[in-house]
Amino acid sequence: MRFWGLRVGMLIALLLAVSMFTFGAMNLLGDPLFNILGPVAGDTENPENLAKIEAAKEQFYLDRPLPERYVRWLGDFVTGDFGVRFSASGQPPVSEVIKERLPRTLALSGMAMTFTLAIGIPWGVWSGSTSKKGLDRLSTGVAFFLVSIPNFALGVVLLYAVGFRLGWMPVRFDAGDPFWQRMHQLVLPALTLALGGAAVYQRLLRTDMITTLQEDFILMARAKGLSRRHILFRHALRPSLFSVVTLFGINAGAVFGGALIVELIFGIPGIGSLFVESIFREDFPVVLALVMILTAGFVVMNFVVDVLYSIIDPRVRQ
Amino acid sequence: MKLTAEPPMDESSGAVKARRLGPGFWLPMGWIFLIVGVALLAPVLPLKDPTDYFIRPGERPPYPPSADHWFGTDQDARDMFSRIISGARVSLAVGFMTVTMSFIVGGTLGMVAGLVRGWFDRLASFLFLVVLSFPGIVLVILIIALIDRSVLTISVVLAIGGIAPVGRLARAATLSFAEREFVIAARTLGARNSRILFRELLPNVVIPMGALVLLGVAAAILAEGGLAFLGLSIEKGETWGKLIRNGSGSRVLRDSPWVAFGPITVMFLTLASINYIGDYLRDFFNVRETGLGQ
Amino acid sequence: MTGRQAPLLSVRDLKVVFPTPIGMVHAVDGVSFDLEAGQSMGIVGESGSGKTVTAKTLMNLLPSYALVDGSVNFDGRDLRALAAERKTEKHLWGVEISMVFQDPMTSLNPVKKVGEQIAESVRYHLGQTRTAARRQAGDLLEQVGIPEPGRRLDEYPHQLSGGLRQRVVIAAALACEPRILIADEPTTSLDVTVQKHILDLLDDLRTARGMAMILVTHDLGVVKGRTDEVMVMYAGRTMEEASTEAVFSQQGHPYTEALIETIPKINSASHTRLVPIPGQPPVTTSPPTGCPFADRCRYATDLCVAQGPPLTALGNGHHVACHTPVRTPAAETALAANAARGHTATGLEIHQSGVPIGAVTGGLGEQT
Repeated sequence: MRFWGLRVGMLIALLLAVSMFTFGAMNLLGDPLFNILGPVAGDTENPENLAKIEAAKEQFYLDRPLPERYVRWLGDFVTGDFGVRFSASGQPPVSEVIKERLPRTLALSGMAMTFTLAIGIPWGVWSGSTSKKGLDRLSTGVAFFLVSIPNFALGVVLLYAVGFRLGWMPVRFDAGDPFWQRMHQLVLPALTLALGGAAVYQRLLRTDMITTLQEDFILMARAKGLSRRHILFRHALRPSLFSVVTLFGINAGAVFGGALIVELIFGIPGIGSLFVESIFREDFPVVLALVMILTAGFVVMNFVVDVLYSIIDPRVRQ
Repeated sequence: MKLTAEPPMDESSGAVKARRLGPGFWLPMGWIFLIVGVALLAPVLPLKDPTDYFIRPGERPPYPPSADHWFGTDQDARDMFSRIISGARVSLAVGFMTVTMSFIVGGTLGMVAGLVRGWFDRLASFLFLVVLSFPGIVLVILIIALIDRSVLTISVVLAIGGIAPVGRLARAATLSFAEREFVIAARTLGARNSRILFRELLPNVVIPMGALVLLGVAAAILAEGGLAFLGLSIEKGETWGKLIRNGSGSRVLRDSPWVAFGPITVMFLTLASINYIGDYLRDFFNVRETGLGQ
Repeated sequence: MTGRQAPLLSVRDLKVVFPTPIGMVHAVDGVSFDLEAGQSMGIVGESGSGKTVTAKTLMNLLPSYALVDGSVNFDGRDLRALAAERKTEKHLWGVEISMVFQDPMTSLNPVKKVGEQIAESVRYHLGQTRTAARRQAGDLLEQVGIPEPGRRLDEYPHQLSGGLRQRVVIAAALACEPRILIADEPTTSLDVTVQKHILDLLDDLRTARGMAMILVTHDLGVVKGRTDEVMVMYAGRTMEEASTEAVFSQQGHPYTEALIETIPKINSASHTRLVPIPGQPPVTTSPPTGCPFADRCRYATDLCVAQGPPLTALGNGHHVACHTPVRTPAAETALAANAARGHTATGLEIHQSGVPIGAVTGGLGEQT
């Protein structure tokens, strides 16, 4: 219990540190006023513009010292108010924008992680247990290809080959389409994100599977007259999963990061493009909210990994 | 004396493999030498100017590969072949600079932490843990977007992202050696930490870490490519990532795939070769044993 | 020893060859034996004698690259043909024949509960429900003498001691009421104090259930007074086969004799040096033309080197593969001749007394 308490404490400390860092970096390196008002921001000679500047400063608390602004923002943030965008109108509110964009990125990431597991695990189990040398060598080659090719390059290749040449998959995402159609449109981008990770899982699982299959308890399971399938999935898989589970947490971060890029390739209006645009526009509230969401998501994934760990290995539980 | 079974099964260790450096090793090695050589020598090689427009009257670029333009041209009729080489200069520079910086800083921190232990070790380990437990790419994007983007600044930011993983590995390797007899012996003889660090640990930690340098180069080149796709690569000049992005717009990709596929092929071959050699060296030095495996 | 009908298990001229980088290893080289229902039999030999490979062949546990020849018949069914078919006879291994392994520390799956591992084959083969199988697992734990079986069912192997784990392994092997239980060195990796308990347990269970048992061990002391018959193996071949009594009272093979000399005796003076067998078993990539034991045998004659002795009946089901069986005039003559010239036909140096040099200097013949 104390262990989990410590973990939650660390999560909160981490989020605080990240938000402070982001808040500080953006305010010190950027020029928010300019992004709210445009060229007018520099024109302090003209009293009309000066009034606008003063008004904006007041509206966005830009005249207050940095720590105060940070505390103000934090107070709003924890109560669910993500603030308003840094623009002349301040509309729409940040939470609206994120509510519109985030589900697409989550769907893409979730689908990608599902594909990663659904491809990587059976592939690893198969290649770790097959006696067909030639096929195993081929699969190792394919895995090496997938591990080495950058995911954006793979995205371009898939887009061209599967989307344009073969015409098997839709190549554009249209937010106006019905749900299932949109899911279909996410398949290719999700595969782009998933294949590299699946190949890494396959490599790890193959090695661990080969080790596990030489264990005495596998021999004993065979002596029980159990079928090959039963032995592979009920006896050998779980003790072979440790490194895969460890990787799952690290990989989750990579999937989030990759999703930002893949969204741009396939034209999916998720948080990837929002994030980059907002940074360029120095739209601080949006950036802060996104950084917090991404960090929290990442930390939660790692948390989940720890729980998974104790599930697959009873020896960790004590 | 009767036959003791010869120990043939268990000779997959380094010595035997080293004798069998077949084409599987030299092919990727050759590619790395080629690409690095061409990148270094680009200014003196008889190449087309990567920024020149080779417009053919009456024809709309991009032009497909031909004897004149081996890799074709892009939408502005610029020669892809020389652009890829010019991109190689920047991408490889980012890769090597990033790795150099992150290994010097991270490696030193990690080794010192592993050697002196105490509060310094606790602080360093905690910082490594914190940095590793959130998605570095988010912060890297954040910083890069706010600064002037040159080869140097991008390398520095990527290197900062690499300090924690490198530091943690160096610490683990140092710890695994710090417990070994020769270090304990040196300590018993009254050697000071600095002496142990330089005389005993450096050779033993640095050599296996060297195997990881190549993998680090690949990771840095990859990261730069990702940033390029977000429009966050260097502002002037070409990188592989920028070239691929330039060729990946729907219409260009569908009608003139060579614009993207040229740089994709070269980048893939380079990353694959580096990964392959890196894996190979890691096995060769038996890096797993030193705790650097993951 | 029971009825004279067809035996429950019948092995004829079994040969197992493993292709390896150093050549073809003849792990089992023409072994034959019968096992009656309810009978118990010991297979004894040093490591590398082929005893474990024989057991694995019976259990269909050989790796797929192993080359097998000869016939294995169980209750009228051809096991080798069934093994080749794979799917059709899935309810034979683990049900009618099952096995207990050497090391209970590694032969239980570390991530599965003890109860699951015992109930598994019942559920898999006999299609029992989860609750019924669990109840049976509890009963089995009780039968193998584990206290508080109800609690133990939900524990993981790492929570149990070595002795308890081996009891769990036994319980799992017995789950489907097998007719033959093969125990491969079941006590080798256990504490000496626990060994006897496990052997006694196996004995009791066998008698109570009327099942047949094959006890594979390197230690003749383990089978003494426990099994009905003993087969002594060396270099993949049968050296001697007899009732357990006969093996100890009138062993015919010099190898059996040497094995008996390695058993510590309670009534001999303390600090008595055990007599090791000099040399090491041959690597069976190229089986010798003569007797495989000749190199280490103090009785070895030129005939032993030239020609392998066939397994010959001495009456009463006692078979020996030796040109100069112990306690025969041929052996006396050979030993005297070897002692006179100071070495055997294979060059093994021996004292006038007939004790091999290697044995006296301690040397290489250490037993596992």
